[in-house]
Amino acid sequence: MDTTDFIESGILESYLLGLSNEEEREYVKQRILTDQEVSDYLVDLETDIKGYFDQHSFPPPPEVREIIALRTSKGDIQKKKHVFNKNSAQENTRKKDEYLEIEVNDTYIKVHKYWRPAFIAVFILSKIFLIAGLYYYFKTASLEQELVKLKTEVQQLK
Amino acid sequence: MNELERTNNGIDLHPVGKNNQLTSLEVYDKYGAMAYGIILQIVPQPHLAQEILVSVFSSPQLQACNSYPFTFAVCVIKLARAKAVEAKRKLMSLAQDGTGNTFTKGDRSPQVIFDLAFRQGFTPDEVAQKLDISKSEVLRAFHDFFKTYRNS
Repeated sequence: MDTTDFIESGILESYLLGLSNEEEREYVKQRILTDQEVSDYLVDLETDIKGYFDQHSFPPPPEVREIIALRTSKGDIQKKKHVFNKNSAQENTRKKDEYLEIEVNDTYIKVHKYWRPAFIAVFILSKIFLIAGLYYYFKTASLEQELVKLKTEVQQLK
Repeated sequence: MNELERTNNGIDLHPVGKNNQLTSLEVYDKYGAMAYGIILQIVPQPHLAQEILVSVFSSPQLQACNSYPFTFAVCVIKLARAKAVEAKRKLMSLAQDGTGNTFTKGDRSPQVIFDLAFRQGFTPDEVAQKLDISKSEVLRAFHDFFKTYRNS
């Protein structure tokens, strides 16, 4: 296929828009590497595609940016946790960079997932101690009553 | 050196997309509106479109655009379309009523073909089957579509 036919075939448009299959992608890559005219056309086509979609652009609400900032900063922090840095000065600077000052109108707080079983364990243990406390309290009270009763009986027998 | 640099004798034609490692927010500031426009064309529900937009710009795939052979814009267009089509497919599988896939049979204009492939998420093979034309005609329609845009 000569260069003009290749360009007019639409395979480049399909490639740039992500509509081509693996075989077509490989073929296009090969042509870009070997044909200067194709690679020049590709640059123009990218500009055209961007221009076309710029015409249809629509500004998203400002909250979206806030959410993306929050999500990406979280991701960055998680990645950084896996990196060990020997230089403590750099470490401190990096830690400061991990925190972004963002105002979020959110009434929820987020805690580590391990807090859930910890809360459940504390709740169950508190109930067990409460029941045990009440049990021994009433048991002691009834034993004292029994003791008083027995003492009275012994005194009466005397 | 990537493909374009090689083919352009080492001259970098797109310095923004390649040498500078842009952060997600920088990319969003630059291409957010364009991506939102693309997503709205595919998924017209604003709330869902905003969720997709967030997933596009917080996606790890976006960082791959830093090493993408071509411009960042094209990479963002691809990613926004892919995410929107994926969400649309999920919606369609839930609804299963085929709404949104409306096209006039017999109309084989580049606009209709581009709409079916890009906005409605059909592969060129599926579009060819739907319109009863060959795949090469579908691909040629993409070329004609952008040629018409360029000349307009």
